[in-house]
Amino acid sequence: MASLNYSAPSTSHAPRCRGEFAAVVIGNHRLCRDHYRLVLRLENFPPSHPGQFVEILAPLQAMDSDSHEIEWDFGRPRPPLRDQFLAADLPYLRRPFSIAGRRDGPGMAYTDIDIIHRVVGKATGILEHQRPGDKLSILGPLGNGFRVSERVKNALLVGGGVGIPPMIYLAEKLARRGMNVVAFAGAQSRDLVSLTLRPDFAVPADLLPVMAAAEFSAFGVPVVLATDDGTLGFHGYVTAALDAYLRCHAELRSEQTVVYCCGPTPMMRSTSVVAGKFDLSCQVSLEQPMACGMGTCQSCVIKYRPADAADWVYKLTCTDGPVFDSRDIIWP
Amino acid sequence: MLVLRPVPPYCKPDRRRDRPANPPIVAARPLQSGNAAANCLIMNTTTTPSTVESKSPSLAVRIGRLSLANPTMTASGTCGYADEYADFSDLSRLGAFVTKSISKLPRKGNESYRVIETRAGMLNAIGLANIGLERFISEKVPRLARMGVPVIVNVPGWCTEDYADVAERFDREIPVVAGIELNVSCPNVKNGLSFGTDPVRLAELVAAVRKRVHRCTLIVKLSPNVADVAVTARAAVEAGADALSLVNTFTAMVVDVEKGRPMLANGTGGLSGPAIKPIAVYMVHRVYSQVAKAHGIPIIGMGGIQTWKDAVEFLLAGATGIAVGTALFVDPASPQKIFDGLTAYLARKGKSSVQDIIGTLNTDSP
Ligand SMILES: Cc1cc2nc3c(=O)[nH]c(=O)nc-3n(C[C@H](O)[C@H](O)[C@H](O)COP(=O)(O)OP(=O)(O)OC[C@H]3O[C@@H](n4cnc5c(N)ncnc54)[C@H](O)[C@@H]3O)c2cc1C
Ligand SMILES: Cc1cc2nc3c(=O)[nH]c(=O)nc-3n(C[C@H](O)[C@H](O)[C@H](O)COP(=O)(O)O)c2cc1C
Ligand code: FES
Repeated sequence: MASLNYSAPSTSHAPRCRGEFAAVVIGNHRLCRDHYRLVLRLENFPPSHPGQFVEILAPLQAMDSDSHEIEWDFGRPRPPLRDQFLAADLPYLRRPFSIAGRRDGPGMAYTDIDIIHRVVGKATGILEHQRPGDKLSILGPLGNGFRVSERVKNALLVGGGVGIPPMIYLAEKLARRGMNVVAFAGAQSRDLVSLTLRPDFAVPADLLPVMAAAEFSAFGVPVVLATDDGTLGFHGYVTAALDAYLRCHAELRSEQTVVYCCGPTPMMRSTSVVAGKFDLSCQVSLEQPMACGMGTCQSCVIKYRPADAADWVYKLTCTDGPVFDSRDIIWP
Repeated sequence: MLVLRPVPPYCKPDRRRDRPANPPIVAARPLQSGNAAANCLIMNTTTTPSTVESKSPSLAVRIGRLSLANPTMTASGTCGYADEYADFSDLSRLGAFVTKSISKLPRKGNESYRVIETRAGMLNAIGLANIGLERFISEKVPRLARMGVPVIVNVPGWCTEDYADVAERFDREIPVVAGIELNVSCPNVKNGLSFGTDPVRLAELVAAVRKRVHRCTLIVKLSPNVADVAVTARAAVEAGADALSLVNTFTAMVVDVEKGRPMLANGTGGLSGPAIKPIAVYMVHRVYSQVAKAHGIPIIGMGGIQTWKDAVEFLLAGATGIAVGTALFVDPASPQKIFDGLTAYLARKGKSSVQDIIGTLNTDSP
């Protein structure tokens, strides 16, 4: 029988690798129809990696111990009343968002992180109305980021819709390592491309990567744009663009090339098929409904079976992922 | 301070003697330094210096044989197996930690989607996914031992032996586990009947587990999906439960209006969060006044607790412990904030101990 021994709780002062942080909104920019970039300033934010995410508590829900009723700041005009406010249908849980970029202030005095989100519902409908000076609570950085091996020389970044943001952060990291990086960004239509298009670059309708998107060209990364309806760039799915690109670029079909992907589940599934066809390794950042983001609720499961395993198991997207090797995933 | 365990009446003395002497279950810890903030608050909000409390009110409570430094606990399934929240909150300030349900064999659980948010709450249909007893003991128990707070393990089951085997294993072999919480609200059990809704089967189950649990405090977690929760509460208490916890989640459904299907893969799920709090408070009060008070059985109240005010509602209604569940997802540090708010409340009300307010709800018509 083990002996009962309560050791003193850990008092280590090692820097935290994650935690809850008060963030101040320093910018909220509309990128295109429905997409916004929120710039948040934090203090003492731990190191983070592309592919990691944060859990944001949409405000209007004060979490102090006195009240959890909605607290309006009466000194300012209310945000526009939308249907959900009228129905008092406010978000209760936090929402996960990928880190889309990070800039540390001088001497790490502060950190700015970018969140790019699409307005689809309750919480994003509130984030849309954030203004400089507003405060948000964030938990993070959460999850495991993309893995980068020393061996790899070429990276193909494939982002679809709200899967583009983590690719921006990843592009920076890989470009700084001197890797040869090409981004593929897909959207349903021109007005849903959540990137800042540079007026000095025409977007070709073929597969030529160009410095057309400011978010990627800032790090010297060219992009192939694709829209489902052909209103901008390549006409078709971004996965079709990737497939066509790899067919023309035999030199990329090697062990030194990795495909990194984030987007809607069907798009990630077909990206993994394309990567498999050319024998390329592929990392996907998965999205599942998450209640906690911290590995406690067991809600965010995906079916996982590595090549050598007999049976599949559930893995948690939030703490085992969100980045997985695409070959290990049993797609829903 | 060491806590002496009274010999429970259901334990035959000879059965107790063939066990090694057990170490004290919990050495009650002094109130943590985190109290300083609460003390400041008290000083600031007290109007006249003469009423300033020099001593913080005592938050210590007892649940069966467990002595807790304060009434705040975690609710099963919302706080993982052990120290998952360590980076986000000071777990050593909890009164007790309650684990995810641990079943005899590992369980994969339900298909995705397992959760969906609702107004002021959420539905979950996790399906008791867990790593199973053996992995829990080898991987998580050592971490639990390092947390420095009393540990209660939640035990689900599909037949009486499932519950009794797991409970006995913890009771005999895992000293760090000081309490067993029987989760009797599983929808699928033998004979298609749920232990949690049939008082006869519930009494049989509790009596059977009681025979095999001698050291740990035995808690029965009641289902709210019954016509009168006092009936199942009485069955559990008369069969030998040391404490009751309520409520588990309410069976509920959300419809995907685009697909015309339930949102959750399981069809139904359990509703939790602030949305259920008023019903939970009522149920705690009903069980307290109808059953628990007369039998001297403590209640662990839960259901939508997020702030100290929520906690005080439950305490006044008759709960001795209060567990935070869904709110941990939003704010993993909420138990500590509740602790501070509760301390300030007691001081403001001139109470020297949290025990002075438990069950003091005045229901006389004004
Ligand atoms: C790891 C991770 C990273 C992410 N990163 C990003 C990111 O960088 N950027 C980004 O924009 N998003 C990201 N997401 C997705 C983001 O979390 C969601 O878009 C966000 O949670 C939506 O919150 P909401 O409150 O605005 O929407 P909700 O109100 O929660 O609604 C979500 C969707 O469900 C639909 N819905 C709700 N109820 C019903 C119903 N009864 N019937 C039919 N449909 C219904 C809504 O119409 C909406 O489309 C990420 C997700 C994960 C898991
Ligand atoms: C995601 C989730 C998982 C849960 N898992 C369990 C469980 O495994 N065993 C159990 O007894 N209760 C479980 N519960 C119920 C909670 O312990 C609690 O009784 C209920 O959620 C009400 O409290 P709350 O409103 O504070 O969350 C779970 C609740 C949630 C939200
Ligand atoms: S979101 Fe809770 S376990 Fe992943």
